[in-house]
Amino acid sequence: MSSKKVRGNPSLRRGVGSQTTDSDKIMEDPPAGDWLALRSDQLLEWIDNSVYNVAESTGIREVVDRITRPIFNFAQRLSPHPLHFGIMCCAIEMGQASAPDHDIDRLGLVYRSSPRQCDILIVNGPVCEKLRPKLKTLYEQMPEPKWVIAMGECAISGGPYWDSYSVVAGADTFMPVDVYIPGCPVRPEALMHGFLTLQKKIRAKEPGMFLRR
Amino acid sequence: MAEMWISMGPQHPMTHGLWTLKVKVDGETIVDADPELGYLHRSVEKMGERRKYFMNTTLTDRLCYASSTTWTHCYAHSVEELMEVEVPVRAQYIRTIMLELQRLASHLMWAGAYMPDLGHITGALYFWRDRELFLNLLELPSGSRLLYNFIRIGGVKRDLPNGFEEKTERILKLFEQRLDEYSDLFENSKIFRMRTDDVGKFTAEQAKNFGITGPNLRGCGTKFDLRKHDTYEIYEEIDWDISTREAGPGYSDCFSRYMVRIDEMKESVRIIRDCFKKMPAGATLASRVPVRAHGEAFRRTEDSRGEAMMYVVGDGSDRPYRWKIKSPMFTTMSACPHYLKGYKLADIPAIMGSIDICIGETDK
Amino acid sequence: MDIDEFMQQFSTSKGVSNISKIRENIVKLDLTKEDSLNFFDSIKSDFEHCSLISAIDNQPDFELVYHFSCINQAIVVKDSDCAVMLEAHVYLKRDAPSIDSISNIWFGANWHEREAFDLMGIYFIGHPDLRRVLLPEGFAGHPLRKDYVYEIHEEEW
Repeated sequence: MSSKKVRGNPSLRRGVGSQTTDSDKIMEDPPAGDWLALRSDQLLEWIDNSVYNVAESTGIREVVDRITRPIFNFAQRLSPHPLHFGIMCCAIEMGQASAPDHDIDRLGLVYRSSPRQCDILIVNGPVCEKLRPKLKTLYEQMPEPKWVIAMGECAISGGPYWDSYSVVAGADTFMPVDVYIPGCPVRPEALMHGFLTLQKKIRAKEPGMFLRR
Repeated sequence: MAEMWISMGPQHPMTHGLWTLKVKVDGETIVDADPELGYLHRSVEKMGERRKYFMNTTLTDRLCYASSTTWTHCYAHSVEELMEVEVPVRAQYIRTIMLELQRLASHLMWAGAYMPDLGHITGALYFWRDRELFLNLLELPSGSRLLYNFIRIGGVKRDLPNGFEEKTERILKLFEQRLDEYSDLFENSKIFRMRTDDVGKFTAEQAKNFGITGPNLRGCGTKFDLRKHDTYEIYEEIDWDISTREAGPGYSDCFSRYMVRIDEMKESVRIIRDCFKKMPAGATLASRVPVRAHGEAFRRTEDSRGEAMMYVVGDGSDRPYRWKIKSPMFTTMSACPHYLKGYKLADIPAIMGSIDICIGETDK
Repeated sequence: MDIDEFMQQFSTSKGVSNISKIRENIVKLDLTKEDSLNFFDSIKSDFEHCSLISAIDNQPDFELVYHFSCINQAIVVKDSDCAVMLEAHVYLKRDAPSIDSISNIWFGANWHEREAFDLMGIYFIGHPDLRRVLLPEGFAGHPLRKDYVYEIHEEEW
């Protein structure tokens, strides 16, 4: 895709309002002998960028991406691992969707308890002021690539609680959302349609091995 | 050994609902606990003051999402006391049928969520498969699987559809056979009994002081059910019994609380069948429901989890002046340090699961 | 004990006034703030379950409504299975909204009092742990008061 050296859109990916670190900027070669002065994430970022620059300038990146993108894409979209997280009524329908009658587990879903092992965060209820920092932490603990599904009216815009003093007007005020599923509550069939829409989005947009857009 | 605080935070697979439980452990044994709520506080009481009386039924549906009709019914019941509205007899029968179907769906939801806590994931699939049957039944009169908005002030939204009685009878017969299968699968299972016998004990006296009501109190042997002791709708005409169990003289454990809910499901089946037999023809909504109300009213009903209470104050306008909601789980969770002390860390899902928490009604 | 006997016995207690009956099983009375703890001490063996504590903002003063219920049938309604309840109203001034806490008598009152403090700002003297229960720690103000102002993004209807 693009040959820019920037890692995605920093303000959107890091979320609005979170602290930005020094590693947002492109690292140049450190002064000789100063390798040990780098922090571990800066070191990894520097190595990553060096490898990318070498691969880009020699043309290997195009070749590797063309081979690995379909394979990684195939694996990512057909094995979504959502986080085991339920807020309100839509979480009950999310659970009921895994029950024998609807069985969305046939899409490859495996619910994981730890955010470090997940791809997808499903926001299935109203986000209150007390919950907002914890949800932000959960989102930041998930490794890339990750997607967010806003399930239900409360997560899209506040829903029936639009005039409450403690409900945030939608999950997209503080984190980027990929798929919006309307409904109050969302039927299991609509949730399945939401996952299939996310699969289409992953197929159309997601990168291969080098994680550039 | 050193003591430390462990936080089972808002995102945890075993705490059903969004709350934090901080436990202080000495090795593996629990020494103290500190629950923290408020992650789902949507200020329903304040929002209710901005809406007219009949508009609040959409908010009460979402108070407890696993058992939503019972909360709308509690609200409608209190406002009918405030406005002095008489509900027609056929509407009372229809309400009773919907409440008992909702109680079945709620207990099946609880059972399906309790089994994975003990490691028995097949139990979740069995109970949720049966819950699907009742959700389809509840969808026929009201149009929605989960949040119905069916019970209105003065009656119900519309009459039951044609063929509802035959469909219900077919499903109840199937469900009764399945309940017998489950009693063999779970109650005779040695691992299930090991995890639930003698775990999470509290006496009836302690429970009454803590504010615990409902199936948790009936699991201690106390024969107290609001459907008989502060009766409402048509429960006094129906032939049914209160289900109680006890683990020993005057105290309960996880297994007795589990058995009380299974017994209640069997009683609900009996109540629904009796209602269909005795239901008369007639109107389903009161002919004149006033718009303005003045005064105060207090009513309590037997929710699937305990005693749900509402206190409504009207000041003569068409909106409530103050609306107070009491959830049975609010006080039950405040007492969790007492019934968690002395048990192991791995017993927490078994004990908190047998209490049957729903955070939506607790946090309002 | 019959409910009418109970009403007769307690109508002369210190601080009690306006005793009456709602429907057939709820005893309603008004209580003064200073005598509330003594009264609750005297009924604790009959009413062993503290059901609800509601706080109401009748501009300009506050009102606390206590509900207790009798499960062990120490007090009964004649010829009926109905369980008896007690509803006590206490009126507090706006510039001194404080009252004695009953958490030592009924443990179930503990969180009800915390919620009344959290949402309405009423102080309970002698409560072991009076802090916010539903709202976040740093929240300013008591939202359920009628003079609490907050922004709503659409117009009133």
